[in-house]
Amino acid sequence: MPSADHFSETQTRSDIALSALRAAIPLFIPAIPFGLVLGVAITDSAMPTAVAWSTNLVIFAGAAQLATVSLAATATWLTLVATAAVINLRHVMYSAALSPRFNDQPRWFRWVGPFFLIDQQFALTSVRASMSGPAWRRFYLSAGVFYFLAWTTAVTIGLVVGSSIPTEWRLGVAPAIMFAGLVALGLSNRPGIVAAVVGAVVCLLALDAPNNGGILIGAVSGVVAGYLADVTESRRTERRTLASDR
Amino acid sequence: MSAFAAVTAVLSVGMITYASRAGLIIFLADRPLPPNITRALRYVGPAVLSALTVNLLAGGQGIDGVEFVEVAAVGVAIAVAALARNLIAALAAGMATLWLLLWLL
Repeated sequence: MPSADHFSETQTRSDIALSALRAAIPLFIPAIPFGLVLGVAITDSAMPTAVAWSTNLVIFAGAAQLATVSLAATATWLTLVATAAVINLRHVMYSAALSPRFNDQPRWFRWVGPFFLIDQQFALTSVRASMSGPAWRRFYLSAGVFYFLAWTTAVTIGLVVGSSIPTEWRLGVAPAIMFAGLVALGLSNRPGIVAAVVGAVVCLLALDAPNNGGILIGAVSGVVAGYLADVTESRRTERRTLASDR
Repeated sequence: MSAFAAVTAVLSVGMITYASRAGLIIFLADRPLPPNITRALRYVGPAVLSALTVNLLAGGQGIDGVEFVEVAAVGVAIAVAALARNLIAALAAGMATLWLLLWLL
């Protein structure tokens, strides 16, 4: 029996689109509360609501959008853009990992495809090794358009509901909780923990830096610390392996 | 923030986001990043998100902006996320902690 992931040349376009949807929906469920939180943050934002909402269409990246709308009150243009650039660095990794799959694709798709490259899209499309050419392109675009519409809907619902929630509920704290939860979810090894702790502590010490510069100072320190911890750890492992070989 | 400043900020962040997703796909197809860069990029996520959390807790008022109830809520969320590996549970536990403490204190 062929698995759901198996695609042959004979499969129709709608088969591929349907299987893309079936694979995409479960991955979207954890993003729903994030979308709602962003919607609420938009109502709280120092930006005009319509402009903050337009981040769905212009940016389409949850963490970068949340940072943009919630930092608008305190950050300058430069800090905001620099912070978003750092948050987006993980997309460079996705881009690097997926670039071989775009080699045999038409030029228009190389330009359009990356817009949809959110975390879920990467998780979904990077593993479909059995697909290539038009089948993979159709799968990618079906999932991408679904995520785009579903995300915009979730954020809009959060925005509509959020404006009727009293301020005493302190939903403004939700973005900070969300970012902290994302950090904890992503931590799997010691260098990662080092990066997170150093990033937080240095940012705390640098809170008085002008223009919210503490975020960048903290982030850069955290990355350097994580990298050094990673190098140290792998050296130690190498040494242990060498010792046990003797 | 004026509408003009907001539009400029959103467009700039949009362009940066697109560039970070499209750059290597459009221009560097099939040439891998140096291993050291890949290694460092792995730690961008935890470092920047935790710095961002601290900054949002301060809310632009320096260390005085950090409130005990908010720190407690974030702490509980971190613990739940680490143990339950579930972002929704972490958000719910964090907000529940916040509301409980606000009601108690």
